[in-house]
Parts: sequence; structure tokens; C-alpha cells
Amino acid sequence: MISLYVGSTGGYSGKNLTVMGLGQRLMKDGLKVGYFKPFGRLPIKINGVLTDKDAWFIHRVLMLKDPVETLCPVVMTHDLMVASCRGECAGLEEKILEAFETVSKGKDVVLVGGAGRLESGKSMDISGYRLVERLHAKAVLVDSYEGEFYLDAVLAAHERLQERLLGVIVNRVRAGYLDKVESLIIPFLEQKGLPVLGVLPNDALLGAVMVGDVVDALAGDVLCCRNKLDGLIEHFLIGSMQVDRALEYIRKARNNAVIVGGDRADVQLAAIEASTQCLILTGNLYPNEIVISRAEVRGVPIVVVRDDTYSVAKKVEELSRKLRLREKEKVYYGIKLIEEKVDFKRLYEGLGMSP
Amino acid sequence: MLEHFFNPSSIAVVGASQNPGKIGYDILNNIVRYGFEGAVYPINPKAEEILGRQAFPDLVSVPSQIDLAIVALPSPAVTEVIEQCGKKKVDSVVIITAGFKEIGPEGGRLEEALAVRARELGLRVIGPNCLGIIDTASALNASFAAGMPLDGHIGFFSQSGAMCVAILDWALGENVGFSRFVSLGNKMDISETQIMLSMEHDENTRVILGYLESIEDGPLFMKAARQVSKNKPIIIIKSGTTSAGAKAASSHTGALAGSEHAYSAAFKQSGIIRAESMQSLFRYAVAFASQPLPNGPSLGIITNSGGPGILAADACEKSSLHLSPIRKETADELRSFLPPTASVYNPVDIIGDASAERYDRTLEVILRDPAIHAVLILLAPTAAQDPDAVARGIVRLAKDSDKPVMTAFMGEKKVKGARKILQDHAIPSYEYPEDAIAALDAMLCYRRAQEEPERRYQHFEADSGRVRQIFSSVIGQHRHDLIEKEAREVLKAYGFRLPENRIARTTKEAVEAASEIGYPVVMKIASPDVLHKSDMGGVRVKLEDETMVEDAFFDITANIQLRQPDARILGVMVQEMIPQGKEVILGITRDIQFGPMVMFGLGGIYVEVLKDVAFRIAPLSVEEADAMIREIRAFPLLRGVRGEAPADIKGIREALLRLSQLAMDFPEIIEGDINPLLVCPEGQGAVAVDARMTIHE
Repeated sequence: MISLYVGSTGGYSGKNLTVMGLGQRLMKDGLKVGYFKPFGRLPIKINGVLTDKDAWFIHRVLMLKDPVETLCPVVMTHDLMVASCRGECAGLEEKILEAFETVSKGKDVVLVGGAGRLESGKSMDISGYRLVERLHAKAVLVDSYEGEFYLDAVLAAHERLQERLLGVIVNRVRAGYLDKVESLIIPFLEQKGLPVLGVLPNDALLGAVMVGDVVDALAGDVLCCRNKLDGLIEHFLIGSMQVDRALEYIRKARNNAVIVGGDRADVQLAAIEASTQCLILTGNLYPNEIVISRAEVRGVPIVVVRDDTYSVAKKVEELSRKLRLREKEKVYYGIKLIEEKVDFKRLYEGLGMSP
Repeated sequence: MLEHFFNPSSIAVVGASQNPGKIGYDILNNIVRYGFEGAVYPINPKAEEILGRQAFPDLVSVPSQIDLAIVALPSPAVTEVIEQCGKKKVDSVVIITAGFKEIGPEGGRLEEALAVRARELGLRVIGPNCLGIIDTASALNASFAAGMPLDGHIGFFSQSGAMCVAILDWALGENVGFSRFVSLGNKMDISETQIMLSMEHDENTRVILGYLESIEDGPLFMKAARQVSKNKPIIIIKSGTTSAGAKAASSHTGALAGSEHAYSAAFKQSGIIRAESMQSLFRYAVAFASQPLPNGPSLGIITNSGGPGILAADACEKSSLHLSPIRKETADELRSFLPPTASVYNPVDIIGDASAERYDRTLEVILRDPAIHAVLILLAPTAAQDPDAVARGIVRLAKDSDKPVMTAFMGEKKVKGARKILQDHAIPSYEYPEDAIAALDAMLCYRRAQEEPERRYQHFEADSGRVRQIFSSVIGQHRHDLIEKEAREVLKAYGFRLPENRIARTTKEAVEAASEIGYPVVMKIASPDVLHKSDMGGVRVKLEDETMVEDAFFDITANIQLRQPDARILGVMVQEMIPQGKEVILGITRDIQFGPMVMFGLGGIYVEVLKDVAFRIAPLSVEEADAMIREIRAFPLLRGVRGEAPADIKGIREALLRLSQLAMDFPEIIEGDINPLLVCPEGQGAVAVDARMTIHE
């Protein structure tokens, strides 16, 4: 049995997608795959069992049969946070090792999902570095390419993980940077002895946010079309200009949501007619009935939020940066992308396997 | 009081001039011309005699005692005059001279120095920068106004000289008499407060009228007005009440409390009748000066046409007066001589062909009806009428009545003469019925205010030492806003009931806290970053046992971790579950002129939109607290609608009184509010749920 830790040097880097993509492919190649996340940060209870929300999602996507109890042995609840500061949280590593033992029974490969960054969990002695060592795992790092600091971070990780680090996957590379990454960054890393296993381009669909997530994040009140909350938003537009200009913008951008003051019926109606994915009305101002009934006809959900337009724009920007993969459409697209862009031959070599 | 100003035996006019058109000439001329009987000494070093009176080079050279000095010299010369007044033992001075505070800092300094010196010498001063004073009883017109008002019973003071002359001219045209006219000017020494008190003692003054732009010393003014208004009505028009200051304030109370609120509260609390326009100021004045106060709210209306009667009835409905039903005896008597088409019920419509004789008989019968407290006679000039004869009849009958009688003869040309007859005989005569009713309403309100019992003040045990400690620690940290915990402690020290609460960091602590507080409890996320707690899933209510508290702790923290990952979570607040109640808001602000002010209104999210709030200047009496609660439009909601249990009004009253005490004890509180104060059903008290407070060094 081989364990593979999927980690990163920064948060929101694409770890979950990578785990799902790798898992899917390994299974397709006929391997018995297990998955667990030693340390989760999104507490959720499934049938009374405490686990991590992301882990539970991956568990279902990969259609795994292992018990929920071992899926995420340590979840960062507020209680645990307090206990850790008080030095009252001994035995966490043991719990993780125990769960790992259960999960790994009868498996060829166990994917270990990292939390946050490699350092995360250090305060409880369960950092990514430590777990890689204790689980005798190999590691793959996936990170967004966000300028040259990226190199410093992965090289530092390489220095610590040494030969356990099989390589890196460079994620979210914008079209304009692709050339630079291929001609400069990859050769540099390879020359430093750090294999680059794949380069994933930045993709508007993957960066898309579900209408329902926006509703949650903004604590919005949905006025109509609740059945359309799974719609994906790729672009957010602010509709505070003249109505004719607004229409122009709305038509140009695919899968957009329009953020507009609750009192701008003109822009609201224009956006509805242009089939926006969602109308976000700011300032806790409710639209008139005509707007709502029109939205119902066109199937456009209207969300009323308390914040002003500026705050909403700031929050949704944050939202698509710190996105969690949840939507089927996006997940399968992402898995396909991993399959296409990751050099599995090299990965298997690193793992010392040949399926 | 201020006797030498209004009834002097001798006057010196310093700066008396020989040249007509000069203020120094006009004043002397007014004094001489309107028949002042005491000694008059023109002071002018260059003149032998002016207007037939021997002139003196300075005050000291006058051989006999001087009671009152009127100064009309340029401002630099005034200081020397004050010194001379000191030497000559003149104790009352009116400084007409302009060029002081009103022209800028330099003039301000001059005035300040003058005030200090005058105080040292024991002088009382009216002005500077004023028109002068008039007292009709002593035939004294020490002003440069054109004309002398008729004798009368209205005392008028004004901060604006221009207002004085305009009103004087109007009064002459309308035959309205005055007892006194005082132009306050810059109020260097004597202000509205002293004038009001002096008019209280003046037997010729029955009604005190004032035009004010500002008040010198709010609390002192209120105290004086309270005392004076018990004996004489005070009617004031106040201009310049903007709410510019309100913009800067941050809390709800601040946003609502302009100085306008302070004035209207202060006037209400000191029994002052507030006129909204110059027109109503004088309509009220005429009514108060000439008619007895009504003994009750029942108004009888006599009219010769339907329309005006209906208008009057409408106006009545909006006032505190009401149209009482006519007693059967009275109706029968009216029916005996009125035509069959007449209406013998209130308003009594004696129809278009009513003669003076019919008016007479009807008025006589109505005045005799003991259920009627005031009478309004309306007349529309029909061809059949002789309005003059009607007016004469009214004058004759009203003279012997102890009920107020008002008239509204509508029209102009045909009723002009009749109005003049009425005015000449002190029967208020208005153009329209609404005006008459507004004046009567003011009289009734004044009457009722006079009957109000003595104010009762309640004192509560309070730990002011603790509050002082909190305030000094806040100031020590260079802060002005109290954090929630501090604000809660301040209220606690003043006996407010606050929901028990504790911050729990862990599930175990939450369970412990809940059992100490007692079930059921409410739990809320404690995080400065989560603003809309319930929207984010950060609130759980009605938790009745340990398991529910455990689940709630997990749900709340997990929700926030999920929805707002960046929020700093301090823990979860476990709070006593307060019984259902109605939300009201209580607040304090500090007004520049009147000091601490207490606010009350219906609470909740609509407070700023509806502005349904009442203000009073602290300290609040028990009665004032009650009046505030009744004053808001939403009061019926507190009393309970459709079978609802009434809210604990006594609990609100107590909270208002405690807050008033806190505001009085700590002048450093600039503003604060309790929003909401949750008022439980009657008998169960009120709980301060959330509080904010801002202090200043």
C-alpha cells in the first residue's frame, strides 16, 4: 500500500479537485483507492458523526465505502481550537494514525487530503510536514501560480520534504502567463530537481460560483426561483450605470450575475430580460412586484442582501477566490482537466508503481 | 424687580442729541413726548439744553439721583459711561449702542470687559445693541421706535429689535395694547429669564410674549418659566431651530435629537405655549390678554351658515376642545324662538337670515348653559345682516360672562367695522374659525397645565462609584465609546435589568453557563466581525436542555466557520431567554443649551424612519416620564391591541427615570441609548437588551 499526500503551500489552491482527479484516474486504472483527510476545518455532522464538509463531498464523488468515522479523524471545531490553546488536545496524532490504518486496509493507494497549507495543524503537532513523515507518504503539491513568490514557497517545501515530494502541479495559470510558465518556470524547477507533474490553465467555469453560495455568503433573501440556485456565475457585474450601458455589459459576459441597488428597477428589468443568472439587490431594498413576477417568468433568481453594492462586490470577489468545488458540472469538468493535463506516467514512476 | 428700568423716577439719556434723526435725539424725544412724568436729564457736553430739558456734560454733574441711564454713545465711549454710572450710583442701564458681540471677536472682547466691570459695580444692564424699553403704565418710552403702543396687558420681549418695531407698528394698526416692550439685544447681563420674572411681578402684564433666537442659560430659563407660567401664560416663538448638529451624532438618539427637540421639550416642560408663527403668537396673545380661561373643553358654536360651522367643527376635532351636545333644556329654549329650519344642536346654526337680535338671544341662552365652557360666534355677512349690531350685542353679553367668547366674522368690507367694535372691547376677533379655535385650544392647554399636580421626582439607589470607575478607565484608554460590556455594567449600576449572559468558549462552558443562568436560554455568536448574526446562522433561541445547548454551540460555531471563515470567534454568548415583549428605545443626548435630554420611542428597525419619539429635558419627573410614553403615536400598541396583554408601562417609566438620573449624575455622557428595551407584559418589568454609550472628558 502506498499513501499519497496532496498538499499545498497556500490555501484555496485546488487540493480537493486534484484529489478527486487523481482518485478517479487511479480507480480507472484498476487500483483500489482509499481517501481520508487527517485534519479538516469545516465541521459538519453526518448522521451524528463529526466530519469535514469537503472530505464528505470527495468521499461521495469517489463513491467510497469506508465508514464516515475514519474519513476525517480530527475536525477543527471551536472546542478543539480552545482545547489546543489550553494544551488539552493530546492524542490527535494517534487518532489519525488509527484512522489511516483502517482506511488503508485492502487498498493499493490511499490519498491523503491536506488541510490549508503544509504548516496547518502545527499548533496541534499534526502539520502536513509531520503527517507526511508519520504516514510514510509521498507528496504532491498543487498551488496557484501567483507570481514568482510561488517558486520560493515550493522550493522551501522541497527542501523539507526531500525525496518524499514527487512533484508539483501548477494551477490556475492565466492564458497570458502560460508561455512564461512553460519556457521559464518549469525548466527552472526541473533543473532544481523538482518535477512539474502538470500545468492547469485558469478556467472561468472552474472559477464559477453557484448562485446558492452567493446567497449563503451574503446572507441574502431569495425572492423567487429557488430552483435555480444551482446556476453558475462566472462574472459579476455592477449595474449602477445608465440602463443602456448596463444592457451592453450584461449581454457581453457569459453566465453573469448583476449586482444592483434594490431601487434601480430599470437595470433590474434589463438584466432579467438579458437572462442574467441572478440578480443581487443591495441595500436591503426590495424590488416591486412587477420585477419579481418578470423574474419568475424568465427564471432569474432575485436575492436581496443587506450590504451596499461596494461591500457585495468585495465579498463576491473573495468568494470566487476561495471557492470550494461542489457543483457536479464543475467537478466532472475539473476531473477531466486533471486527467488531461497531469503526467500520470511520471506520477506512477514516482510512486514506484506500474498499473 | 428691575423696578428702576420700568418705573424710574429719573432718567439720564447719555448721548442725547440735538439733531432729529439721531438715535440720541429720538430716544429723548420719545421719553419727553409720550409723557414720562419723572426727571429727564440729557447728557451731552456740547449742549445747554435739549428738547426743553437742561443738559449736563456727564452723569456725575447731574445734581440729583438717577434711576435709569439710557446709553446711546458709540461703543468705545460706553466703558467710561459705565464707570460714571458706578460713581453716580446708577444701578440700571440700557445700552442702545451697537458694535459689540454682533460685529465679531473684537466687539465680543469689548462686551465681555464691559460685562465684568458692570458686575463689579453692581449694575444691571439691558442690551447692548438693542432698541430700548417701553412701559405703558409709567408712560415710559425709552426706545427709538416710531410710536407708542396703547395701554394693555401684553408684555413683550424680543431678541430682535426689528421684530419689536414691526410688532409695535402692527399693534398700533390692530388696536392691541401692551404693558411692556423689552428689546433684549445682546443679553450681556439681563436675559429673557430676568425679564420673564420681572413681568411676572408686573401687575399690568397678564400675558408674557417672547421672540427668541437663543436662550442664555437653559436650566435657569426653565426653572423661571415653570414658576412664572403658573401665574401668567408665557407664549414664545423660537426661531432658528435647525438640526445641523444632529448630523454629527452617531447613535440613534443622536440622529433624532436636533436642538429643535430640546426646545420643544423644554417649552412643554416649563408650561410655555409655543407659537409656530408670528401670526399665531399674536392671536394667542390677544385671546389670553382679553378673555378668561375656559373651565373645560366644551365649546359651543353659533353660526349663521353651515360651511363655517363645519370648518369649525373639523378644527375642533383636531384640538383638545370638543363640541359638547346641547342640553335638552337649552335646545328647547332655542327652539322656542329660532326658525324651524335652524339647528339647535352644536354647532347652533341660526341660518342666513339671522338678525342681530337672533344672535343676541341665542348667545344669551348658550352662555347660560352650564355644560358649555367657551363660545365661538361665526358670522358670514349675508344681505340680511347688520354685523355692527351683532358685534355690539356680543360685546354687551360677553362683558358679564366668565366664559371666553371668541368671534370669527368672515369677509372683509362688510365686517370691518364690526371687527373694530369687537377689538375695541377686547373681544378677540379672527378672520377664520380655525384661528379662533387654535387660540382657545392654547388657552385650554394652559389651563390644564396649571391644574397639573406638583412634580414628583424619584430617586433610585445607584452605584455611581462603579460608573465613575468605568468612565475613567475608558477615558484613560483615550476612548470615547464604551464597549458593550462597559455599557451593560453602567446600566447595571443604575439598577437596570439586563439579560443574564456569559461568553462560553467551549461546549462544556456553554452547558455550565446555561445551567447557571437557567433554561431556556438564547445563544449568539460572539464575534466582532459577524454583524448580522441571525442571517449568518449565528443565533439559536429557546434552548431548553443540555443537548440543545451542545448542538447549538456546534451549529453556531460551524456555521460561522463555514460562512465567514475570516471572522474572529470569541465564543458563544449564552443569554437568559427574555419573555416576549415589545421593543422600545430609550436614549440620552446632551443639548448645548438645556443639558441632558432623555428620548423615548418605539424601538426596532423602523425607529429612524418613523421618528416616533418623544424628548424631555432631564431631570424627569414621574409625570413627565408618563407624558413621554403617552406622547408617541405608537402608544396604543404598548397598551395592547386586539386582546394583547398591555406592556409594562410602569417598567418603561422606571427605566426612563433611572436613565434621567444617570444623565444628571454624569455630565460626561454625550449620548447613549438602550435599544431595545424589551418591555414585558404588565407587571413583569422591562429588560435592557442592548446598550451603547459615548462619553467625553
